Amino acid sequence: MTDVDRRPDPDVLLATLGKKEDRAKGELKIFFGYAAGVGKTYAMLDEAGELLKNGVDVLVGYVEPHTRPETMELMEGLPVLSPLSVSYKNIRLQEFDLASALERKPEVILVDELAHSNVEGVRNRKRYQDVEELLNAGIDVYTTVNVQHIESLNDVVRDITNVNVFETIPDYFFDHAEKIKLIDIEPDELLRRFEGGKVYRPERVATALHNFFTYENLCLLRELAVRKIADRISHENMNERGLTEKPAGIKMLVCVGPSPSSAKCIRWTARTAEAFRAPWVAVHVERMDDERLPEGERKSIRANLDLAERLGAEIATLNGDDIAAVVAEYVKLSGVTNIVVGKGRNKRTLKNFYEKDFEDRLIALLPNVEVHIIPGRLPGKTYRPPRRRYMGRDFFFSWWDFLKTVFLLTAATLLSTGFRAFGIGDHNIIMLYILSVLVVSRVTDGYFYGIVASIASVLAFNFFFTVPYFTFYTIQPGYPVTFVIMLVVALITSALTLRIKAQMRYAVERVHRVEVLYEINKKLLAARGIENIVSIANEYLVKIFNRSAVFYTLGSDGSLAGSFLKYPSEARASSLILDEERAVAHWVFTNQKHAGAGTDTLMGARGLYIPVVSQGKVLGVIGVSCVEGLLDQGGRLFLSAITSQVAMALERQLLSDEQRKMTISSEKEKMRSNLLRAISHDLRTPLTGIWGASSTILENDLDISTRNKLIAHIREESQWLIRMVENLLSVTRINEDATSVIKTCEAVEEVVAEAVGRIRKRFPGRKIAVKAPDELLMVPMDGTLVEQVLINLMENAVNHSSEDAKVEVKIYKNEGYAFFEVIDSGEGIPEEILPNLFESYIPDARRGADSSRGMGIGLTVCMTIVKAHRGKMEAFNKSEGHGAVFRFMLPLKERCDDADQTADPDR
Amino acid sequence: MTQIKQLILIAEDEESICSFISAILEANNFKVIKTAKGGEVVALTASHCPDLILLDLGLPDMDGVEVLKAIRAWTDTPVIVVSARVHEREKVEALDLGADDYITKPFGTGELLARIRTAMRHGRGNANETRGTMDTFAVGDLSIDYEKRRVFVAGKEVRLTPIEYKILVLLSTHVGKVLTHDFIIKKIWGPYTNEIQSLRVNMANIRRKLRENPAEPNYIVTEIGVGYRMVEEMESDGIRTV
Repeated sequence: MTDVDRRPDPDVLLATLGKKEDRAKGELKIFFGYAAGVGKTYAMLDEAGELLKNGVDVLVGYVEPHTRPETMELMEGLPVLSPLSVSYKNIRLQEFDLASALERKPEVILVDELAHSNVEGVRNRKRYQDVEELLNAGIDVYTTVNVQHIESLNDVVRDITNVNVFETIPDYFFDHAEKIKLIDIEPDELLRRFEGGKVYRPERVATALHNFFTYENLCLLRELAVRKIADRISHENMNERGLTEKPAGIKMLVCVGPSPSSAKCIRWTARTAEAFRAPWVAVHVERMDDERLPEGERKSIRANLDLAERLGAEIATLNGDDIAAVVAEYVKLSGVTNIVVGKGRNKRTLKNFYEKDFEDRLIALLPNVEVHIIPGRLPGKTYRPPRRRYMGRDFFFSWWDFLKTVFLLTAATLLSTGFRAFGIGDHNIIMLYILSVLVVSRVTDGYFYGIVASIASVLAFNFFFTVPYFTFYTIQPGYPVTFVIMLVVALITSALTLRIKAQMRYAVERVHRVEVLYEINKKLLAARGIENIVSIANEYLVKIFNRSAVFYTLGSDGSLAGSFLKYPSEARASSLILDEERAVAHWVFTNQKHAGAGTDTLMGARGLYIPVVSQGKVLGVIGVSCVEGLLDQGGRLFLSAITSQVAMALERQLLSDEQRKMTISSEKEKMRSNLLRAISHDLRTPLTGIWGASSTILENDLDISTRNKLIAHIREESQWLIRMVENLLSVTRINEDATSVIKTCEAVEEVVAEAVGRIRKRFPGRKIAVKAPDELLMVPMDGTLVEQVLINLMENAVNHSSEDAKVEVKIYKNEGYAFFEVIDSGEGIPEEILPNLFESYIPDARRGADSSRGMGIGLTVCMTIVKAHRGKMEAFNKSEGHGAVFRFMLPLKERCDDADQTADPDR
Repeated sequence: MTQIKQLILIAEDEESICSFISAILEANNFKVIKTAKGGEVVALTASHCPDLILLDLGLPDMDGVEVLKAIRAWTDTPVIVVSARVHEREKVEALDLGADDYITKPFGTGELLARIRTAMRHGRGNANETRGTMDTFAVGDLSIDYEKRRVFVAGKEVRLTPIEYKILVLLSTHVGKVLTHDFIIKKIWGPYTNEIQSLRVNMANIRRKLRENPAEPNYIVTEIGVGYRMVEEMESDGIRTV
C-alpha cells in the first residue's frame, strides 16, 4: 500500500539518522521474558560469551545468583565486577557497584534484573537509574526484565495473577531501549522447570509463587509480553515508513486523587494514550480544605502525580472547591477530548443522595467530551477516604471577635426594644435577630461566634420579648424552630465566610507567586553579568522559600564555582556547601536531572539540586536547602518556574558575552589588516628606491660622484627601513591586547641620553638640546620602547625642520606623571591632519606625497607604546612661532624600588 | 717592515653581513677567517689563535651563548658578540659569561673598529696591566689621578664619595668597554647584593658632579638594559664616536 503521497518524510528520516549517529550514548539491549525462569539471564550470558570471543570488552556488572547450574557455568570466563557490599539493618547485602563500573568503562556491561530497587545508601534508588547513568557514559548495557515489571502493565498483571509486583520500571525506559530480545518458551516447559526446582530453590518456594505459576497465568502473561513486543515492532515500522499521523487531536485527561484507584486510572490512561499516540494530562484539584489533609493522603497524591509524570503525562494542579467545575474549565481551555475518572463504590448516604455524581456533572458541563469510568474495585479491603475533620481548626477564641459579637447582639436587642416601642410586630424582631446572627458570622472568624450568637439571640429573644417577659420560658411552640433556623443561618454564613476567606488567601498567594515571577523576570532582564544574575537568583530563592540557596556555575577552568546565600535564621545552613553537597551538584551537572533531598537520586543530601538547562546544555545548578524540611509539590513547581527564568537570563548573558568577544576579535583583525596594508605600502617605496639605485649602478657606467650619490641614497633608504622594522619589532614586544607592557624602573635621563645619542649618530651636526630634571627621576617603563618613541619623535622633528633649526627635548615631572616633550621649530603640523595624526589607516588619497613617510607608522607605534604604558600622548603646534610640540606622559608609581628589578623582564 | 696583521675570526651565518665585515676589516689591516657554524669556532680558535672573535649570537647550529662558554673554558681571546637590537637579555647574558663587548646590527665602520680596538686593548689578559702601568687617566676634560685619588674636570677638582670614585675608576680602567650592571655591582658592593637602584643613583650623582647634562652624558654612556661604558675618544665638538 505504498501511496506515492505517503513517501517517507525526509525530516523524519534525518531524525532517525541523527539518532543512529548519536553514539555518545550507550545502547541498551533488554532480554525480555514473561516470567522468571524463561532463560533471559542464560541468553544474556550466552551472547556475552560470543562478544568476548570476538574481542569485545565485556564486563559482568551484576548477575543474580541463579539456581540453574547451566546459567552459572556461562559466567565462567567472563570478567566479573565485584559487587558493592552494603549493610542494611544489620544484614550485608550485595549491590551493583555503579561507581566502579563507570570508572572501569567497559564497552558492554551486563546488569541483571533491571527493575531491582537498590538498598538505601546507594546512590540511586532504582537499578534502572544506574543503567541510565551507564548509558549516558557511553557504555552499552545488556539487561533482563519481565513483563510484570513494566509500569503501565503492573495492574493488569496484578489482576491476572493476584500477585502484587512492586518493583517496576517506567515505560519510557523500556520503549527507548535500542534492542529488545524476546525470550519465549512454552508455558508447559516453564511449569516443568518450575516443578523441577530449576527456577527457584524448592525450599524457597512460597504458596504465592505456586499461585503465580499456573498454566492460565503463564499463558496470559505470555500473551501480554508478546503483544508488547508486537506493539513495539508495529510502532517502529510506522515510524520508518513515515506513516505516523496523529489521530486528529485526541488529548486525554485523568483526575488524580489520593486513592489507589487513581493509580489504576493513571496506568490505564497511559496505556490508552500510548495506543492512540495521544498526549495526556494528569490533573489534581486542590480544594480549600486540602491543607488539612493528613500527611498520608498528601503523600499518595504526590506519589500518584509522580507516577503519572513517569509514565509521560503533563501534570497540572488546579484549585477550586467544585472539582467538576474546575476540571470542566480546564478541559475547555486545553482542548481535552477524553476524561478518565475512577469510581469507587460509595455507600449511598443521605448526603450523596442529593448530590449528582461527579461523572454526571462532568457530562452535564461538557457534553462533547468522552468520559471513561474505571471501576475502582480492588481485591482486599475497600478504600475508605478518611473522614475529614472539620472541627479543631476553626474553633478558636479571640477577644476582638467576642466584643464584636456582644456589641452586635446588644445593638440588636436595643433596636428590637425600639421596634416594640413603635409597635412593630414580633416577627420583625425575630428577623432582626436573624440578621444580627448573619452579621456576626460575617464579621467574625470561625463557627464559634456564629453559633454562640444564634444561641444568645434565641435566649435574648426569649428573655426580652416573649411573654412572660424577662423569663426564659418558651411558651410558643415555634421558638425551637426559630432557634434551629437561626442556628442553620449562622452555620451557613460562617461556612461561606470561611470559604471566601480561604479563597482570598489562596488567590492572594497565587497572585503573590505570579508577581514574584514577574519581578524576577524584570530584574533578570535588567541584570548584566553572570554574577549579578546569580546574586539576584539567590536573593529571590531565599526570600521566597525561606531557605538558604546555593547557585553553581561553570567556572572558566571547567570546575564548579558556587555562590551561596544563607537564609538568616536557618541553622546548619552552611552544611549546604560541604564537599558532599558539591558532589551532588556535580552529578546534577553531568546528568541534567534533579537530585538530592526528596528525589530518587542521592536522597541523603541536605539540599535539593536542580539543573538550569537551556537548549540541552546545563548552564548551572540551583540548590535549595532542605535541612529543615522537604519542599512540597507546589514549591517544587514554583522552583522550576524560577529556574527556567534564570536559564533564559543566563543564556542571554552568555550569548551577549560571546558576541562581544567576536566583536573585539573582529576589531583586532581589522586593525591588524590595516596595519599590514600601511606597512606594505610604506615598505614598497624605499625598496623600489634601493633596487632602482643598485641596478642603475650595476647596469650603467657612471662617474664616481653620481655613483656615490646613488649609494648614499641606498644607505638612506635602508636606514629608514631599519628604523621602520625596529618600530614594528617594538610593537611585538607589547602584549597581545596592547594593554600591558613589562615595566622596570629606569632613569629617565639614561633613556633620553641613549635616544639622543642614536639620533646624533644618524644626523650629525643637528642641534639637539636636552633638558632633564636635576634630581634623579625614575619611571617604570620598558626602556627600549620609550627610547623608540623618543627616537621616532626626534626623527620627525629633524625631518620636518631645517638644517640649523634646533630640536628641544624636555623632561619634567608633574602630578604623578613624567612628561616628555619634543619640540621643533620647523613648519609645524598642517591643521587638517592633526586629528588623525596617530592613526596609520587613513586612506591614501588624504596623505600627501611627502607626508606618507615617517608620519604614518612611526606615530602610530608611539601611540601604541604610550598607551600600553597607560600614558597619554598629544601633539599640537606651538602657540608662538613655528613648530610643533609632541608631548607624552607616563604614570609614575609611588615607590620605584628593587622589587621591580627582580621581576626579570624578558626584554 | 710589514706590520703583523692581527687576525680576526668572524662567526656569522649571513653571507652579506659577513662579507661587508670582512671588507671593513681587510681594508683596515686585519686578517680575517670566516665561519658560519658555531661548532667550528672552537676548533678554528684553537688552530689559528685569532686575536679577536666576532661572534654572532644567532648562529643556526649552536646557541651563541654555548659557543661562548666553550671558548671561555680555555681561552681569554677577546670576544665581541654581534646581536640584534632588541635582545638585551642575550647581550647581558653573553657579557656575564665572558664576552668583552657587543655590537648591534646594523653598525657602521667606525663603531666596529672602535669596539675592536677597545676589546683588544682591554682583553682579559691585559686588564691589570692597563691599570698597573698608568698613574693617571684622561679623556676629554676629565682626568683622574689614581695615586692621589683625585678627579678633575677642566682643571677643577670634583669631590666624589668613595663609592662614586670606585665606580669611576672601574669604568676608566675598562675605558671603551661596556660593563654590565651586575659586573659593576659585584665589583663595588660584592657578590651577594642587588643594588641596582644605588648604582643608578650613584651614576646620576657622578654625572652631575662631572657637570654633565645628565641627558647628554659625554663621559659615561648608558646602554639601556645592559650597563655603562666610559667613552674612549671624544671629538672636538663634543660628539662621541663610540
